[in-house]
This record gives sequence, C-alpha cells and structure tokens, in this order.
Amino acid sequence: MTKYVIKRIGYMIIVFFVVSFLMYSVYNLIPSDPARAELEPLKQTLKPAEYEERYQQLREEYGLDDPIPVRYARWMGLAKDTRTDTFHGMLQGYFGFSQVYKKDVAEIIPDRMENTIFINIFSTILALGITIPLGIYCAVHKKGKIDNITQVITIIGYSIPVYIIALIFIWIFAVWLGIFPVTGSQTPGADYTGMRAFLDRLYYICLPVIVMTFGSLGGMTRYVRAAMIEALSQDYIRTARAKGLREKVVIYSHAWRNALLPVITVIIGWFLGIFGGSVIIENTFGLNGMGALYYVGLMNNDFELALSIQMFYIVVSLLGQLAMDLSYGLVDPRVRVDK
Amino acid sequence: MKKFLALLLAAVMMLSLAACGNTVEEPVDDPASTDEPVVESRPNRLIYGSTTEISGDIGPGAWWTNNATDKMIRDLINDYSPITYNQGGELIVNPTICGGVESVLNEDGTKTFTVKINEGLVFSNGEPITAANYVAYALIGYSPAAAEAGAKLTAAMVEGATEYQNGEATELSGVHLIDEYTYSITIASDYVPYFYELSYASLTPLYIPMYASAPLTVVEGETGAKFEGGELVAAEIDAARWMYADAVSAGPYVIKSVDTGALEAVLEINPNYAGNFEGVKPQIQQLVIVKSDTATQFDALATGAIDVLDSLSDGTEVNTALDMVAKGGYETVSFERNGYGKIQFQCDFGPTQFQAVRHAVAYLLDRNEFANTFCQGFGSVVHGPYGLAMWMTKESEELFADEIDTYSYDPAKAVELLVADGWVLDAEGNEYVSGTRYKEVTPEEAGDYELNVTLADGRILMPLHIKWSSSEANPVSELLVTMLSEGQQTADAGMVIEQTVMTFSELLNYMYRDATQGDQYGVPTYGMYNLATNFTPIYDQSYSFSLDPQYVSLGYNTNYIFDEELDQLSMDMVYGVDPSDREGYLDLWQQFILKWNELLPEIPLYSNVYYTIYPDWLNDFVESSLWEFNQAVVYASIEGAE
Repeated sequence: MTKYVIKRIGYMIIVFFVVSFLMYSVYNLIPSDPARAELEPLKQTLKPAEYEERYQQLREEYGLDDPIPVRYARWMGLAKDTRTDTFHGMLQGYFGFSQVYKKDVAEIIPDRMENTIFINIFSTILALGITIPLGIYCAVHKKGKIDNITQVITIIGYSIPVYIIALIFIWIFAVWLGIFPVTGSQTPGADYTGMRAFLDRLYYICLPVIVMTFGSLGGMTRYVRAAMIEALSQDYIRTARAKGLREKVVIYSHAWRNALLPVITVIIGWFLGIFGGSVIIENTFGLNGMGALYYVGLMNNDFELALSIQMFYIVVSLLGQLAMDLSYGLVDPRVRVDK
Repeated sequence: MKKFLALLLAAVMMLSLAACGNTVEEPVDDPASTDEPVVESRPNRLIYGSTTEISGDIGPGAWWTNNATDKMIRDLINDYSPITYNQGGELIVNPTICGGVESVLNEDGTKTFTVKINEGLVFSNGEPITAANYVAYALIGYSPAAAEAGAKLTAAMVEGATEYQNGEATELSGVHLIDEYTYSITIASDYVPYFYELSYASLTPLYIPMYASAPLTVVEGETGAKFEGGELVAAEIDAARWMYADAVSAGPYVIKSVDTGALEAVLEINPNYAGNFEGVKPQIQQLVIVKSDTATQFDALATGAIDVLDSLSDGTEVNTALDMVAKGGYETVSFERNGYGKIQFQCDFGPTQFQAVRHAVAYLLDRNEFANTFCQGFGSVVHGPYGLAMWMTKESEELFADEIDTYSYDPAKAVELLVADGWVLDAEGNEYVSGTRYKEVTPEEAGDYELNVTLADGRILMPLHIKWSSSEANPVSELLVTMLSEGQQTADAGMVIEQTVMTFSELLNYMYRDATQGDQYGVPTYGMYNLATNFTPIYDQSYSFSLDPQYVSLGYNTNYIFDEELDQLSMDMVYGVDPSDREGYLDLWQQFILKWNELLPEIPLYSNVYYTIYPDWLNDFVESSLWEFNQAVVYASIEGAE
C-alpha cells in the first residue's frame, strides 16, 4: 500500500510539472503586454525617453523578454530570480504578484478561500444528506409515487442552469417572501462580533447554500438511485433476502455498500469542489470566493493570480484522484491495493 | 400524472419569467394614512452598491492601483488638497484649506508654486495639520522606498524628484518647507506653462506615523525638504495602503472598516472635517459601500440591501430604474457621460489614410439611430472629442451649431465624396460600375497595404476595403455589423468593411503596433477599431496627435494622424496658454475641436446618458459626470434620519 502511494505521488509530481508547464505556456502565449498596461495611466505625464526607460525596466522586471522555459523555471522556483539572485517561486511558497491587487497572491487567497469553504461545506453536506437517502428511497420504491415525483423534480433541477435557479430563488425568498437577503455576506454596516457575527454570516449564506444544494440535487439523486437499482437487481441481493435477512440489512449492508463504488467518485469530487468556488453563485450573490477571484484574474489578464489558482486546482485534483483510488479499496476489498 | 406534470412545468416557467423580470412590489396604500405626510424614521446610513469590487488599497493618490471603488473611498477620506474641482470640473483653489496659491516663473524656466495652508486644520484624530504634512506627501511618494514598494509616480515633473527617487539625493530640492504653514513646489521647465498647472501645487496631507515607525519629522535642508529622525521603509509604506480603522486621514469621512472578504467598506463622518471648498460638511452618518451584481442589483435595491445604484447606462437597466421611480419610492438623477463610444481610424495606411474615406464612413452610418438603438433612447451623439457636461462645450454651443460638421446620414454624399477623391475604378482599372471601388494611388500612398493590386501597366490600385479590428463579445461591434459593415448602403457605395474579432489584448497589440508581442502586430493591418474613451476634468490631448516619431513609436498617437495644425493645437491648448487665460484656452480648444472634426480621425458613435437611482428619502443629491458620488453625497441628507 505504502509503495503504491509513493509510486502514485511520484506520478503526480511528474504530472504536476508537465501540466504546470503547459498551463504557464498557454497563459504566456496570450498576446498581452503587462508592462504597457502598467504604464498606460502615466503616459500623459511621461516624456518619451522616460516612458521608454520605465517600459524597458518593467519588461525586465517582469522578465517579459526571456524565453518561456526560462520564465517558467523562475516562476516555479527552479531557477534563480534575476533581481534577488535567489530561488523565489512556487516551490518556495511564493505564488506570484497580482497586477490587479498589487500585492502578493498568497495574501489575497486566504480570505477568498475561507469564504468558499464556508459556503461549500454547508451546501455539500446538505446536498449529500438529502440526495443519498432520497436516491436510496427512490431506488427501493422504484416507480412509486414519491419516486415519480422525485424523478420529475430532479430532471427539472438538473436541466435548469444554476444561474436561473439563483434568480428564481432570489425572487421567491428575498424579493417576494423577504426571508433572506438578496446579496452580500453580512449585514451592511453591522459591527457584530462572536456568535452574533457567525449567525449573521450564516443567515446571509442561507440562500446561496439553498441554491447550490437545489442545483446539485438532481444529478446526485439520480446517480445514487441508478447505482442502487443496479445493486438491488443483483443475485446476491436475492440470496440475502432468501436467507431471511431484514430488508434494512439487505439495503444498507449489501446493496448500498456495492452501490457506493460508482457513487464515491462523485462524492469525493464534491468534497474537492469545496475548495473550488463557483463563478456564477459567487458573482450573483456578491460573495467573494475563489470562483470570483479566478474570474477577476482571467478577465484582467492577471496571469500570476489566475495561474496560482489554477495550480491549486491541479494539486487538489491530483490529490483527489489519489484519494478516490484509495477509497475504492476501503469500500470494496476486491480492489484493495496491497502491493 | 400528466396533469400534475403540466401544472408543475407551468409553475416553473412562470417563476423563471418572474425572476428574470426584475419585478418590484407595488407600494401598498396605507388605509390609515392621513393628509399629513408622516416622516418615517430610518438609520442615518446610505448603502452604495458598486459593481466594481473593493480591492482595499486606500494608499494615497493612485500610487499603486486605480480601482474605481477604491478611488471613491480614497476621495471620501482625503479632501484637504489646496486645489480641487468645482461642480463644473474646473480647477479651483480650495479656500477651506488655503488662502491662495502664488506662482513665480523662475529664470531657468521652472515654476514655483507657494501654498499657505490655513491654520486650525486637523486630521481625523484631532492632531493638527501643518505644511510638513503636505511636504511629507512628496517626500514619501517620490522616495526610493515607495518605488521599492511598487508605487508608480512620475518624478520628472518636480525639480529634483528624479534624483531623490533614484537615491542620488536625500533632499527633495523641488519641494520646500518654508514655515509651519507654508510650502513650495517647483515644477520642471518641460512641464510649464501648462493650463492646468495649478494641479501641480496640489499635495495631500499625510499623517507621517502611518507611513513610518521611526519618529520622522520634515525639515528644510540645504537644498530642499527632507526627513529627519530615521528612514522610510518600503514594507511600512506598503502596509499603510491596507490600514483601515487605524488610518488617519483628512476628508469628510473616515474608515470604520474595510472587509475585503465581504467586499464591504464602512465609512463614518469625520467629526474634525472643516468642510469642502464651499464649507459643506456631510450629514449622512454612515456610508456603506458593498459589491453589487448587475443581475440582482434591482432586487437588492427593492429589498433595501442597496440604496444607491450609480451611473446606470444600459437601456434595460435604465428602463427598470425608471419603472421603479414611476411606482414610487425612488428618484433618479441623470447626466451625460463625459466621453463616448467611437470608431477609431488609423490614418497612415490603406483607405483610411484618405480623409474622404473617413468622411464617407461617417456619412454611411446613421449615428443618431445607432445611439438611439444602442442606448435604448438614453444616449446622444457628439461630433468631436468632447463631453456635453464640459464647460468648454457649454460655452461653444453657438459656434458648434454653426461650424461643426454633424456628418448626418447621407449615403449619396458618401458616394459623392468617394468619387471626388478618385475612388472611381474597378479591380481591372476600368471605370467603376459595381462591386468594390478602387483608387489609383502613388507608391507612397500604397505602402505595404496587402490588398493593393498592381496592374500590368504598373498602376497601383487600392481597394476601398477597410480592415476592422473589433473585440469579442462586444455589443457595439454587433450593432456596427448590422448598421454599417453589412448595411446595404455600404455595399452600394462600393465599400467593404471586413470585421475581424479578437481579444481586447490582441486588438491593443495591433493598435499600438507592438512587435514585441509578435511580428504580425508590427505591421499596419487594421484601419478601423471600435473603442470607447472618457475624459477627466483635466482635458489634455497633448502628444495624442504628435508627429514626433519617438512619441508615435511609443503609442502616443494611436490614430497615426500626422497633421501639423492638429498637433500644434493640441499642444498649445495646454502648454501654450497661461492658466489665467481662460478665453485663450477656450479659443484654442474650439479650434482644436473644429480641426479634429474636419480631419475625423475618429467617429464618435454614442455618448450615454447615465442614471443614478436612489430612494426618495435621500435629499439634495445632485450628481454629474464631473461631480461624482463622493462629492455629491457630502451635500445629501436622509429624511427622517435617526
């Protein structure tokens, strides 16, 4: 098992470097000139000679004239930074400098990450808490009234984009019923502290959490249902029933355990998504999370910011893949890795 | 089951439509109401919704970033500059801060501005403001430490600032601390005379302990002002950008908190504020600035999550705002944009090098209809590089009515101009009958334009084929395609306008001919671009039409129009007029506009009318494109404020 994990981590490192180089190259092939963008607001106050001098200084500072592999090596921390003559890159924990915020990327991300995790953790737990029992119930009572209703609702939920769901829910719960606020993550101007601040924040994320949960109900419920129907149709279920086992034991110990294998991929994917953020939800509800930050980075050609987030996603994905593979073994002894 | 399904689907559809419609609840009549108006009490707080997120950089000036919302916050907490702008966008001396500004032209061509600060001014923490605090702005801003921290200030303007910034001098020879309440600043000879030179005298008082842990004091040295008592450190200057509740400032408001996680800033009245240039002090106790999203901003407004939506320009948004006003409870203020959306030509190659072609394009586009369609009725058309709110425009109305060419839609006139300019041939060099027009051009005119045709007899023909670069997902481009490039009138005139859609970055590379980004960009390719421009109160077009190859290569003249008169007027307008010569400036400005209008390096397409919507309990709120929210809100009050 340990050998397997070490081997996988080795592969992951190779994949990380290959993907990061490809991503870095793609971002740097986009024809934009950050030095020119930086100087544009000062143009009217600079004489040509000074403009040119500053422009060249900035190009040198940003390393824009070096070939991509050299810039990549510097950015990754595999080559020395020409200005500081030290290794100062991703591997040393320096994620770059944001051109939009004019500060280190590492200083920007924590606030956003906290917001994203705060929202996603609730919606993920809530969604799993609803969809798994509901999917199992629908599979066990296939073609029953509740199953039919659930099928209709989930197909609607699955078909409507989350953007539309958000607008509908805002209209119902915020504008019409006035239960939740439309936007924001805390009461404007309130200086709550402690538990009051926490509850206020919870209140503000209720609607986005409901929208995210609702948006994800359809897919997962149907997935669990399908996996359970498949499992319940197997011979060993008939055998279990024939042995006289209680229906609960048949469903949860025999069918669900076998149905879990395909479902676990999706469940782990969801948990990884906790760090991901949602561009749509965060922008619609005025929440400042990773999705919104990534969007800002891309829209403003702030490549060091966007790339850092991208690298984070890559690391999370690679770790997620490993976690998934290991979890298969936990769930199903037949695929347990002992070597 | 079928019935149930149908009902369910119908309900979902209804909800979808309702959610997309920005419906606002009807106000309900209160049966208990009497003729006496009852003033509802409410918090003395205004919530401003901004579509630009707060980055949280409140460092002085735009030394680092120029985010619109950060700038608004910065302007709300800093208003003690001796020079300010009035409601018409004119530069004036702020009598609350100083009695006047004296200027002397020195023998070496430099100009010294001496400013005497009023006594009794204090920071938000109650500590006195003296000339040293103003000098500190220059000493910190131009310091090597600030440059190391990433601050971007142009030092060349101030005498000795370049040497000081480079660390070659420890004293700033162009800035002097004369006495406790007087400072002077000397501007380099290259930058004077300048019509807006009063702005050079404008420094903002800085509370020195915010920028340095060392006990720094400003003193007058042998050649100029300097710090004594320690040294500036880059990290400390940078840290001051992100200081909020502890920030000491001098403006109508102080920061109570900035939460970049929640994208919210809370500002409260500065009790020590002496008033703006008219002595006006704010009455709204708390300003909350939050992020709003265009998709939900009206729902947020209707539910009170936001009170103010500023500068709405999209026709659908404006109509929604006006619907809300009609239903009651809200008011709007509208104002013309100080800028416009435009077609920009490059005038040194291809067909667009010919003035007649540029004029013909203007005649082929119904700009009134374009502006009306694009702005959905909330826009207008200008005919030169000016905004309708500018004082110069207002004072030129009669002249413009008589002398400015409006290029009203007239396809026949376009053809007439083209024929007169020699666009009378076809691709074989025969007389034009139909299709694309060609013109016989000289080798100089032909240049390297890739679409030229060289006939067997050696004649070079240029097709009336304009290559147009437009950015992706741009609604202006989409409307231009419909109304111009694919319009029947354009084809009938024998003109081809070929659109190429690209990213905005790529468009800029082509426009600047930036070969550093790729060889293809260095080659003049596109004669037409569609962009937008906005003007600031300092109307400075100097170098924008420069003939100097150095300026041109650095992208100052992106129209690539080389007209001596236009260049001279654009320079004289700001560098050839004494600041006191308002009439002289106006005269040159008018000449510049008329010359520009004749040469037509750009075609203004539309100038939006902006709307700001706010609740009817907000009184005395008057905004314009030259008098922004942060200035207007100082005069406003809340009816029934607790």
